[in-house]
Amino acid sequence: MSYHCPVCKKVSHAPLDLARHMIGRGDKVHRDWIYSKGFKYSELLLLQIKSFGGEGFKALAKVLEKETKVED
Amino acid sequence: MSKYSVIGTRVNMVGGTDKVTGNAKYTTDINLPGMLYGKILRSPHPHAKILRIDTRKAEKMVGVKAVVTGKDTIGKKQGIWRRFPELCDEEILCRTKVRFIGDPVASVAAIDEDTAEEALELIKVDYEVLPAVFDPMEAITEEAPQIHEGVELNINVNRHIEWGNVDDAFKKCDHIREDQFVCSSQAHMCMETHCAIASFDYNGKLTVWTSTQSSYYIQVLLMGMLGMREGDIRVINPYTGGGFGSKFELDSAQFCASLLSKKVCKPVKIVLNRMEEFTATKRRTPMYYFLKLGAKKDGTLLAKEVRVITEGGAYTAMGATALYLTGFFSSFPYKYPNYRYDGYRAYTNTQTSSAMRGFGAPQSTFVGESQLDMMADDLGIDPIEIRRKNGMTPDYVVPGQAFIQSCGLHQCLDKIEAHIKGRGKLPPNRGIGIAAYGFMSGGIFNWFDTPYAFSAAIVKINIDGKVDVFTGANEIGQGSDTTLSLICAEELGVNFDDIRIHSADTGICPADLGAWGSRQTLMSGNAVKMAAADAKRQLMEFAAAKLGVNIVYDLDIKDGWIHLIDRPERGVSYFDIVKAAIRGKDGETIIGRGHYTPHRKGMISPAYSFGIQAAEVEVDPETGKYKLLRATTAHDSGQVINPVGIEGQLEGAIMMAGGYGYCEDQPHENGRILNPAIGDYQLIRSLDMPETNILEIDTYEPEGPFGAKEAGEGLTNPTAGAIGNAIYKAVGVRINTLPITPEKVFKALKEKEKKEKKKKKKKK
Repeated sequence: MSYHCPVCKKVSHAPLDLARHMIGRGDKVHRDWIYSKGFKYSELLLLQIKSFGGEGFKALAKVLEKETKVED
Repeated sequence: MSKYSVIGTRVNMVGGTDKVTGNAKYTTDINLPGMLYGKILRSPHPHAKILRIDTRKAEKMVGVKAVVTGKDTIGKKQGIWRRFPELCDEEILCRTKVRFIGDPVASVAAIDEDTAEEALELIKVDYEVLPAVFDPMEAITEEAPQIHEGVELNINVNRHIEWGNVDDAFKKCDHIREDQFVCSSQAHMCMETHCAIASFDYNGKLTVWTSTQSSYYIQVLLMGMLGMREGDIRVINPYTGGGFGSKFELDSAQFCASLLSKKVCKPVKIVLNRMEEFTATKRRTPMYYFLKLGAKKDGTLLAKEVRVITEGGAYTAMGATALYLTGFFSSFPYKYPNYRYDGYRAYTNTQTSSAMRGFGAPQSTFVGESQLDMMADDLGIDPIEIRRKNGMTPDYVVPGQAFIQSCGLHQCLDKIEAHIKGRGKLPPNRGIGIAAYGFMSGGIFNWFDTPYAFSAAIVKINIDGKVDVFTGANEIGQGSDTTLSLICAEELGVNFDDIRIHSADTGICPADLGAWGSRQTLMSGNAVKMAAADAKRQLMEFAAAKLGVNIVYDLDIKDGWIHLIDRPERGVSYFDIVKAAIRGKDGETIIGRGHYTPHRKGMISPAYSFGIQAAEVEVDPETGKYKLLRATTAHDSGQVINPVGIEGQLEGAIMMAGGYGYCEDQPHENGRILNPAIGDYQLIRSLDMPETNILEIDTYEPEGPFGAKEAGEGLTNPTAGAIGNAIYKAVGVRINTLPITPEKVFKALKEKEKKEKKKKKKKK
């Protein structure tokens, strides 16, 4: 199973890794996709920054798991 | 007896005689006919819009030959992370906005420095001052002013590393600690400030003499910013008075001198003064660290989680790399089965933070080694034992990140343990603290997007047997010319004195990424070794024919004698064979070529050094003042190539890293650095230096030339952590913010006293 970035097609092996990639990349096109899913990029970042546990990534990963899965 | 003839011997530094006799010519010593002198006008505001720049008066001033502003540029932004255009965010000469006090806005070339300085005062800049933000924790709030357009929360870069299942692992821990630390800034304090002479000629060629850690990077960055072709720019690195991470990005002296020279077709020299060096170049990255560490009762570390927010300053520079490396080295040098790192770099209206010796690892080592001692203390385990239990070993894989081949960490632990035992019972208020560390031997990353090999070298053997080495590697005072000459001499089997090295001139040397990330011994060393082997092979063809040897025998050269390895007495003079080979090749010069780029070596580096340092301090409990008495280091750098060089690196590192732990800082108020002078900036000086000792460790790194790996930056990593732990051992107080000043120790001692009194009262 792999997960393809909906913006740049980068392949990740877990939705959490893909969330890390998308937030980490953080350029306009990746941010626009994140916004289109009802998230505020800055809120995800703040979730990450303010506490242990990677909560910002986890929130985005839930959406990515459903939308970007590709059967190998 | 050593199997090597040259490496590992004590030799005089290449260029050392020139330096100690005052004959070495640094960039600032070079004067060209008709040369002009440049000065740079800098922003007095931390954040402002540029409304108008009026240079007319300055241009009319007698003696002024040229004035440039952002309008004279091709309007590009530059950065060393060329693969990521959004991280190329620095104009150098600002066109519309300034982002820190010191941002350049104009530059003048005149017949002398005084005229250029005076002309700066005639340039009128109208600014619209904008709200500014200085602290990264404030910069990442919704209310903070946006420093770069479109960068939300001013978060410039974020980096994440994770393996294992951190959340589950914490549930299995017997003990968890959460701690916060603050790591301060530090100035590079090179003896030679940033400087450049640029000479653009009527043929459209630009030559730049500059104090740099990477001639190649400066060549390519100038190409981008001036709209020229790479081959039309030649960058020459004369003697250089230190870099420490501050000199491998394009700086204002290089860019403005080049721009001015292009305008007037005359050489222009710009030398930054010490105040500019402190306020307008780059610096070590201040960091807020949040750590969570979980362990079993027996001291087995199960999980670590790290969050970091760094004060990035106005531009990206090398800050993105420092952000990644501090996260990677937060896991060092231990085998964490579960690890998570989240790092964020915030833009602020302060001087840009970037690379500095250790590259994020001095920060991670200070916080990590402090917390590990706290964990050991909580669990009642000896600090050496907890490190022994969890320390990396040879052939260890850092999941998804790195493959450790050689690792002498446990040998280092044994040596340091013996050293501590040897010190016996210490007097009151004295303590020995330890810190373990590791570091890379050059970075694998190619954010610069070079199409060339990371290192390359050419070896030319002359008719008299003397050898010329051409390498793009930069000698910046760290001794790379010496190390590379030793490697070449060993491989060719000639004397060290037979080698003449030509380095870091892009006009005659093959490209090399330069002196940063402790890369030159391993990477440039491999390239030189390969080039020497290539030249040697060409000689051996003639030697084998001359000797008429059975093909089952192998030949080698030692001390100028080409011989059968199994029968060393049977051979022929190297010098005779060189002559014969050149004649036999129709007079063609013997030239060997070598190059090195790491492949399939993980994400970070092809090899890692390891070490432990023990710092011994004595604290005066009345005042908090303490003295660093001894720093003893067991450092695993693989096969030692240049022992004198390692000793120099160690002493320099103690001075620099001790300063980071003890006194160095760059406090600022409203974006203005408060101590921008050598008299105000506190350093460890010669009389404050502790006794330093290095304990030798015997390891061999398969990836390194003759088994060598780094011995430069890694030594900067442990000292602050070791000092912090030593102070705790001495007087029982823990300081979580750098630098650990006597004032902080004093305050902590008073707090401790208060708490103890309260406890006593309660008992009564």
